[in-house]
Amino acid sequence: MATQIKLRQVDEYRWEIPREGKMRTRGLIFASQEMIPKIQEDQSLQQVANVATLPGIAGASLAMPDIHWGYGFPIGGVAAFNLEEGVVSPGGVGYDINCGVRLLRTNLRRAEIEPRFAELINTLFRNIPSGLGSRRKDLKLSMPTLKEVLRYGSQWAVKQGYGSAADLEHIEARGRIEGADPDLVSEFAMNRGKDQLGTLGSGNHFVEVGYVAEIYDEAVAYALGLYVGQVTIIVHTGSRGLGHQVCDDYIKVMLKAAAKYGIELPDRQLCCAPLSSPEGRQYLAAMAGAANYAFANRQMITHWVRESCEQVLQMGPRDLGLELVYDVAHNIAKIEEHVVNGKWQKLCVHRKGATRAFPPGHPEVPEAYRQTGQPVLIPGDMGRYSFVLVGTEKALEETFGSTCHGAGRQMSRHQALKVARGRDIIKEMAARDIIVRGAGRGTVDEEISEAYKDVEAVVQVAHGAGISRKVAKLKPLGVMKG
Amino acid sequence: MPAKGSKGTRPKTKYRPWAHTADLGWRIQGGTLEELFENAAQALVATLTDRRTLRSREVREITVEAPDKEALLVDWLNHLLYLFDIEGFLGRDFKVLSLTPRRLQAQARGEIFEPTRHPEKTGVKAATYHHLKITPKNEGWQATVVLDL
Repeated sequence: MATQIKLRQVDEYRWEIPREGKMRTRGLIFASQEMIPKIQEDQSLQQVANVATLPGIAGASLAMPDIHWGYGFPIGGVAAFNLEEGVVSPGGVGYDINCGVRLLRTNLRRAEIEPRFAELINTLFRNIPSGLGSRRKDLKLSMPTLKEVLRYGSQWAVKQGYGSAADLEHIEARGRIEGADPDLVSEFAMNRGKDQLGTLGSGNHFVEVGYVAEIYDEAVAYALGLYVGQVTIIVHTGSRGLGHQVCDDYIKVMLKAAAKYGIELPDRQLCCAPLSSPEGRQYLAAMAGAANYAFANRQMITHWVRESCEQVLQMGPRDLGLELVYDVAHNIAKIEEHVVNGKWQKLCVHRKGATRAFPPGHPEVPEAYRQTGQPVLIPGDMGRYSFVLVGTEKALEETFGSTCHGAGRQMSRHQALKVARGRDIIKEMAARDIIVRGAGRGTVDEEISEAYKDVEAVVQVAHGAGISRKVAKLKPLGVMKG
Repeated sequence: MPAKGSKGTRPKTKYRPWAHTADLGWRIQGGTLEELFENAAQALVATLTDRRTLRSREVREITVEAPDKEALLVDWLNHLLYLFDIEGFLGRDFKVLSLTPRRLQAQARGEIFEPTRHPEKTGVKAATYHHLKITPKNEGWQATVVLDL
């Protein structure tokens, strides 16, 4: 069904969509030869070309190796716009604003948790609300409090006793995007956010307990506090209904704005407004609020992860050593400084299903990682493995400091359900020594391993192209699906 | 001309999935625009749970406004998701009370979602504008909506 988009191979890992028609720049896709036929099956390349038509785009319209068909912008898309003529688009961020991943390490080895492992997963499942319409019955925020969450993100959570100040040093943007204005977030969005803070949600969100299976770079792994056999925990979730509503609200604003400012749209979902316009500025301030909500959400879930571990394993925080390695956003637009055509420029970088990957020495990389580069967390499917990488200078030069974010689906959910029909996925996983707890059976079936591309292939391209560097491979032991 | 709600012209399938890898597209049919909107709501609820397990115990009146009928469809579905988020309400049956290209008034009958009684299917973040279309078809209407999951 997709029209064939012209594609030219640049080198082993780079493919170019030449500038044509209304495109203002070229498209640049990071992928291996093997990935291309699958990418060409759907409309993601067309989407890369569509993004290239937007005003003020700086550099190429980029796609990471986990590119797949999104709505408007492709998933795995990165696009930067200059602040003068450029635009900001809610569709370039996505509905789940600041959906992201955080990685916790422990002082424990696999064998130490084995006897109580099933109980641990069950306790996590009990303590962290998940699944369809999940909300916290014990925590309904008042409007003034919710506004504080939107302004201060993880910093608010830590102030309330969820985690420690040390956590903040290990979160992208220290867990708070500046410039958030809760008054630009609608009452609808606020209502949706009131009792969802500290919940996982559903779909591909999860809490996963696993272990370090392999180290690729000893020195960097050491700096990140990772070693083979060590138990790790990954949290993957975002801004819940509040974020979805902010996106939906501002898409409506942007549909009008695009017409007002005469921006031609190849797809309505690409609607946007100039970064210099009131509409553009308002979206960024509302988006920052939703992003902060997501940072606070992951921070609070971390607190309950810690509590659950202490409770089940009967250990104190010091012995557990559940420290935050890092927390990254993979659906976000950020104002950053980059070199374009040899000159420093302030840009609005959209990462939709893409992760920031800043190199060693970058001022936005926390002190602890100044030598190694910013940790990048790439979750895979629930049955295989996830990866820890670090950012590189090359990423800064070529992709505005960005890399991939995950495996990317290769089967639609319907196909996945068909493939899973008649099978007991939870049992199959148990046979592979992975405990899966899911709120809904449908969610577990939709998330079967086969539905995803092999994340190792994705990471291999990012590593091979030099836009990030492999540090460690993590394998799952137990997963709590949303 | 589309027959207004006549049973004889009602299409057999109200909605069917439409291929989209990461998300979910629905192709929705309706003899009239009113029916199209009602069926779209059913498709949305069928994504979240087994609609047949819901009972019509409570009523919600919904009014949405948008610049055109396509945007109105997205708004309608997103409003239903809003109700689900804030109070867990899911409609089983939907009745469009009045419809113009810019304004929809409708009634949803259903109940509060209860994970122990209603099977959890797929979470929906939002109805999107991507590939959004409403076109006349077979003396009725067809809509395409992509849901972000």
